[in-house]
Amino acid sequence: MSRKEELLNWLKEKLKGDLLAEDVSREKCLFIDIKKEALIETAQLLLSRGARYQVGVGYDARKSGQGLAMVHTFAFDSDALLVAIRAYTPEDKPEFDSLTPTLPGAGWSEREYIDLLGLHFNNHPNPKRLILSDDWPEGIYPLRQEVPYDLMPPAAEDVAFRLDEAPPGSSIIPFGPFHACLHEPAHFAVYVDGEEIKGCEYRGFMVHRGIEKLAATELTYSEIPFVAERICGICGSVHSVNYAQAVESAAELKISRRAEFIRTVMLEIERLHSHLLWLGVAGHLIGFDTVFMQAWRIREKIMWLAESLTGNRKTYGIVIIGGVRRDINREKAGQIKKILGEVEKDMLALEKAIVKDKAIHRRTRDVGYLSKEKAIEWSLVGPVARARGLAIDARKDHPYAAYDEVKFDVQVADSCDVWGTLVVRVKEVYEAISIINQCLEKLALIPENSPLAVELEGPIPAGRQGLSVVEAPRGEVVHYLLTGDDNRPERWRVRAPTYPNLQAVPDMLLNNRLADFPIIVGSIDPCFSCTDRVVVIDRKSASGKILSQQELENLSRKMRSKS
Amino acid sequence: MWIWNKIKQLAISSRTGVVTLRYPFKPRPAPAGFRGQPVWDHTKCIGCAGCASNCPARTIFLRDICQEIRILLYDSSRCTYCGRCADLCPEKAITMSDNFELATDSRQDITQTIELFMMTCQRCGRCYDLEIKNYLDKLQSLGYRYDSLEVRKVIRQSTAEFETDLLEKTATYGRPEKLEK
Ligand code: SF4
Ligand code: SF4
Repeated sequence: MSRKEELLNWLKEKLKGDLLAEDVSREKCLFIDIKKEALIETAQLLLSRGARYQVGVGYDARKSGQGLAMVHTFAFDSDALLVAIRAYTPEDKPEFDSLTPTLPGAGWSEREYIDLLGLHFNNHPNPKRLILSDDWPEGIYPLRQEVPYDLMPPAAEDVAFRLDEAPPGSSIIPFGPFHACLHEPAHFAVYVDGEEIKGCEYRGFMVHRGIEKLAATELTYSEIPFVAERICGICGSVHSVNYAQAVESAAELKISRRAEFIRTVMLEIERLHSHLLWLGVAGHLIGFDTVFMQAWRIREKIMWLAESLTGNRKTYGIVIIGGVRRDINREKAGQIKKILGEVEKDMLALEKAIVKDKAIHRRTRDVGYLSKEKAIEWSLVGPVARARGLAIDARKDHPYAAYDEVKFDVQVADSCDVWGTLVVRVKEVYEAISIINQCLEKLALIPENSPLAVELEGPIPAGRQGLSVVEAPRGEVVHYLLTGDDNRPERWRVRAPTYPNLQAVPDMLLNNRLADFPIIVGSIDPCFSCTDRVVVIDRKSASGKILSQQELENLSRKMRSKS
Repeated sequence: MWIWNKIKQLAISSRTGVVTLRYPFKPRPAPAGFRGQPVWDHTKCIGCAGCASNCPARTIFLRDICQEIRILLYDSSRCTYCGRCADLCPEKAITMSDNFELATDSRQDITQTIELFMMTCQRCGRCYDLEIKNYLDKLQSLGYRYDSLEVRKVIRQSTAEFETDLLEKTATYGRPEKLEK
């Protein structure tokens, strides 16, 4: 009996009549429908078996007569199993019991759907606005079907985000929304006592672009990969691969091995560029510009390589549902190998030249300390988690594309600080080079004329779920997909790695010096655009409603990341 | 020893020298297979709207200004250069060129418009290209939507481009050569 069947039987036994339906047809995934009263119990059962919480997905299921739905996904990392539990609530009583008291990592996921779907979560410790802008009118829930994707309520003039009072004895230093150390808009109000950081309040979600709503209303299945790629300017093909995998999982489409290898090669090329980019930025943030210049010089070769392989430096546009668009033939493989050889040589020289530099050690050791226990509590992912001794890596735990056939080690460090993150990311550069070389060797064994993409046989049936994870350079990306009519998904949810990692930043900042703020925030390689992807919101737009003092205060506390 | 590290850094920096290109004073040609601005070949296009229906950025518009004339307008300002249109065109009328220097202060500079002479199907009343082949069945398999003009509502602002006086300028549009004879 596979681990999946065993888990399902065990859940059936425990939940009895509360388990309404199950879908085991997808490899590596288990989808179950439960009564909403059993949501917390089910989550607790899964957690007791070692599951890691990933993300919550809410959607409007009124079309099928089931009210509003909430899905929570969990990962069993040692069993390569993803579990999604779904519950419905009637439209006239849109209530769920909150998972957050049991599972702090669910805080944002639930608050997101308070804003976007008008759900209510009983016992949520901090049920405040998270996503919508300060002046968005009450009672308009953008993810509901009747709300058009391009709705723009008129702006309200006198509504603004109000910060909390600083704790006694400390003062506030504002960082952002636009600040030299942040590469995207987000606001941190940092409480300082002298030089020491005593806390921080975060207000983000300023760069929504409504991609998920757009996908569910305007785009079609095969157009979305090219839009998904634009979710992030650094790890774009991660999103297109992950989306394609989610659709392929929902449609039970098996793609060709050659395409899987090509996807793997491109993902690793992207990892190389992202790690080198981060290394450069990290160097720059601590004022060590030699690292910045040299890392980016090395990175440029990778960008040109990607350009000649795919036709563009960054938006590879290589992934389509069912496979890939461009081949990597023998000649191109030779070109990749040659360039990777140069990159490896340059990288070794750079590493040797900086590894003992006092400047780096003084600015990164014991900076941004967060214990392993805390890292588990916040469900951290990616190099930030691996720097804290957690050996989680979706490439190893939930092998996708061709990762089941390549050999590599999950790089971990145990210093629990920014230095650890740096070490992990530098080591992963060499790991990525080795993975690409292995892929190229295997690729040479597959006949060159084997198909790059497979065709779908007939339309994708509606109402099927798909779930997929990909290890982006910054950590695990989760895509949840529910197929719909009209040749487009009914719901597509993207969870970027910054989503869990950012929630832990206030904890990382505690008791550090103010001067280390940029590098600590920078250490998670925050990508606000990926995190904020959900719904088109113009900060200026909203109702003409004037909020009371109390409401304003409630609003202003909404981004306290304690939930 | 950290001073040893500094010396190594110095060595790397001086050995590498200046790597910044002299662009734009010295051109940097795009590599083969680069996805630059798509270019339409009006002698090949049959007006099937496959490109328009599948452009993720919805930046190709088709409009029938009368029963026989169909206008295809490509507005590069929103194009993402994904190359999807070139992939899908059944007639290979679109090529992804290596032109990437597209900055301009006038949208017209990067807009391409072609005028297509269409025939009317006796059976269904839709337009098709008589010159090449009956593509009606193929259209369906491409997901052709007859109302693809409606698709323009996706980004409403862009419809401002499709004014009547713009259509009046049809004299400047490329026309299929073989029909001019
Ligand atoms: S390249 Fe892509 S975005 Fe541009 S017109 Fe073609 S399909 Fe549309
Ligand atoms: S897909 Fe090709 S033939 Fe059809 S309208 Fe576009 S350019 Fe013309």
